Amino acid sequence: MTARRFLSNYAIFIALAIECVVLAIAAPSFLSIDNFSNVLRQNAFPAIIAAGMTFAILTGGIDLSVGSVVALSGVLCADALVHGWPIWSAVAAGLVVGMGIGLVNGLIVTTVRVPPFIVTLAMMLVVRGAAFKYTDAHTISGLPPAFATLSQGVAMAVVMAVVFALSWAVLMRTPFGRHVYATGGNRDAAWLSGIRVDRVLLKVYVICGLGAGLAGVLVASRLNAGYPRAGELYELDAVAAVVVGGTSLFGGRGSIWGTLAGAFFIGILNNGLNLYNVSAYDQMIAKGAVLLAAASLDRWRS
Amino acid sequence: MPLLAATGLTKSYGGVRVLDGVDVTVERGEVHALVGENGAGKSTLIKILGGAVRPDAGRVTLNGAPLPVGDPLDVRRRGVSVVYQEFTLVPGLSVADNVFLGRERGRPFLRRADMTREAQAVLDELGGGIEASALVGQLSVAHQQMVEIARALVGEATVLIFDEPSASLSGREVDRLMAAIHRLRARGLGIIYISHRFEEVFALADRVTVLRDGRRVETRPAAGLDRRQLIHWMVGRDVSEEFPVRQIAPGRTMLEVRGLSAPPRFHDVSLSVRAGEIVGIAGLVGAGRSSAALAMLGALRSHGAIAIDGLPARFRSPADAIRHGVVYVTEDRKGRGILPLMPASQNLTLASLDRYQRRGWLSATAEAYAAADAARQCDVRAASLDQPAATLSGGNQQKLLLGRFLLTKPSVLILDEPTRGVDVGARAEIYALMNRLCGDGLAIVMISSDLPELLGMSDRVVVMREGRVTGELDRASATPEAVMALATRSAA
Repeated sequence: MTARRFLSNYAIFIALAIECVVLAIAAPSFLSIDNFSNVLRQNAFPAIIAAGMTFAILTGGIDLSVGSVVALSGVLCADALVHGWPIWSAVAAGLVVGMGIGLVNGLIVTTVRVPPFIVTLAMMLVVRGAAFKYTDAHTISGLPPAFATLSQGVAMAVVMAVVFALSWAVLMRTPFGRHVYATGGNRDAAWLSGIRVDRVLLKVYVICGLGAGLAGVLVASRLNAGYPRAGELYELDAVAAVVVGGTSLFGGRGSIWGTLAGAFFIGILNNGLNLYNVSAYDQMIAKGAVLLAAASLDRWRS
Repeated sequence: MPLLAATGLTKSYGGVRVLDGVDVTVERGEVHALVGENGAGKSTLIKILGGAVRPDAGRVTLNGAPLPVGDPLDVRRRGVSVVYQEFTLVPGLSVADNVFLGRERGRPFLRRADMTREAQAVLDELGGGIEASALVGQLSVAHQQMVEIARALVGEATVLIFDEPSASLSGREVDRLMAAIHRLRARGLGIIYISHRFEEVFALADRVTVLRDGRRVETRPAAGLDRRQLIHWMVGRDVSEEFPVRQIAPGRTMLEVRGLSAPPRFHDVSLSVRAGEIVGIAGLVGAGRSSAALAMLGALRSHGAIAIDGLPARFRSPADAIRHGVVYVTEDRKGRGILPLMPASQNLTLASLDRYQRRGWLSATAEAYAAADAARQCDVRAASLDQPAATLSGGNQQKLLLGRFLLTKPSVLILDEPTRGVDVGARAEIYALMNRLCGDGLAIVMISSDLPELLGMSDRVVVMREGRVTGELDRASATPEAVMALATRSAA
């Protein structure tokens, strides 16, 4: 393997390691248990959404509706709890909502053949609107205290670990995972090789919706409320994590571990800048710069 | 002094020398034909002349002055234009806009009327009755070709280079193109003409240069040359020796197609292939051969009857066809064949992944074993099967595709241009593999535009023209003349 290939394959992991070392030296509080669990809690949502997003982007698509799905699934889950549903069924309802919206996305992408960017952009508006309409723009509160334990540090870390382990296994160890890469790598070739490309895409958008639905339930648990504004701009954070993690926006190349590293690279960057009291505005600028750098690296490697 | 002179052009790609010290000249008012097999170096040569590719050694002069290398725009501005095989037109723009693309008149606002008038004048001179204001996307392929030529001419070209301009044209359209080229020659242009069709070469050319394996074999005046002599120089040996004679003992009819139609691409196509038999499909580009193959595969909507091993079948997708033992190896290796970024091993196992899974999980061992096995059977040469498919040579990519589909254990193998862009050595290996597969009882359909190959490999030849089957010839009666007569309108 050439130095260039090595660098481009592992760039995000090297960058993440360097970032951690620099912060550990520059800001000793970075290494505290408190800060550590803080980073974990804050970044588990975007990471879980980004795991689903990785599937969509690997096929050469995208799902911009995930942020709105977070809101709607959270709101519906919260409302179910308020109406006395047991926690497990309310959570299931949140996940089903996410999968349902993903299914609609996938059906439009595969049958009407509208580009995913447009389909999911439209769905982002529709679903956000639905979340506001359902709650009348109010916050749904008064959830059972037990529901809040779902998003405690340890539980959240476990959920995230399971999501990524499962994503890895599906992508790397099942025929479906290979089909995802093949669909993104050369759709026509995949189809002529007997891959039912439409089914692959359908499943991919359902997975994306499931990830967002799960994140929505966790966000509701964290807020202990159903909040129709939840998850705003999450779609962009997720895309950023995937791209920073080295997955090509053209599809066919990338890895789920890259996405995990990408999500935490951005999260830790925010955390570090916070520790240094850098303003939120400057943080946005920094995030944008990182995204540009990652996208440029993607051009360079291909 | 010749108008255009190239001396000692040499070019290698990844250690393979595709051009080796080639000299070629063209005079004013001359048509110089360039012939050679696929992979002889013709395309590389004209890409160098057109400035699209930088040679490793050698130089090109125009009127004695050196021509810049590796700068297609500058080369064009100086009067050397290439009409490439793949059109470079923008379908959504008008003919005039395309003709002036990159050289628009008027700054900052376009002078549309001027451009349309000038383009129309050039088009009228070429003949064919094309409106400069028409949208290019709505023109026939032949007319697009004319637009492509017009584009070269408005730049006040002095040298025009044609890369197989007739490949996608029908008989009458070819005649029109030839007439246009005659007129351009009379105007004093120097013309380099690449073609696979000997009739055109003899009708047009003043001189002929033969390339083989990247070297110039001969340059001769066209008068007094005959076809046999040209073929001998091109191939370097007698064509009939190229293909080993296969003893066939055909078995049951494995694929039977009756009245298959998918208007407007093809109509009423019927053919059958028996186990252990190779049936060739001949025809010009655009005759509907690939479309018919895709329809048999369920990749294109069609109607008609298909039977596999005697049982009626109706495939709704390639996945369906593969499950029933019918596979298709595309002519468009890069576009619809390989997955460039995937390792060679995963390219091999792509169509047969279900065979390496247990309860939904892939077995890495089973998969690696299958990949290695297919690579061995098809003689894929790679430093490692982990390397991305894009890094393999054309011949190895082709074998990779063959391996991919053989792993599905097919009973009918449809090969579309199986040796296009494949070097001579790999070709021979692909032929040997086909013969072996045939011996194992596979039924093979081979679409090929390479007539010697088609005639050398096929037990029977089905000829198509403009979407219809125009005849079927057995091995004894399948001569190049007989096939071409059925494939072209002029002789029908």
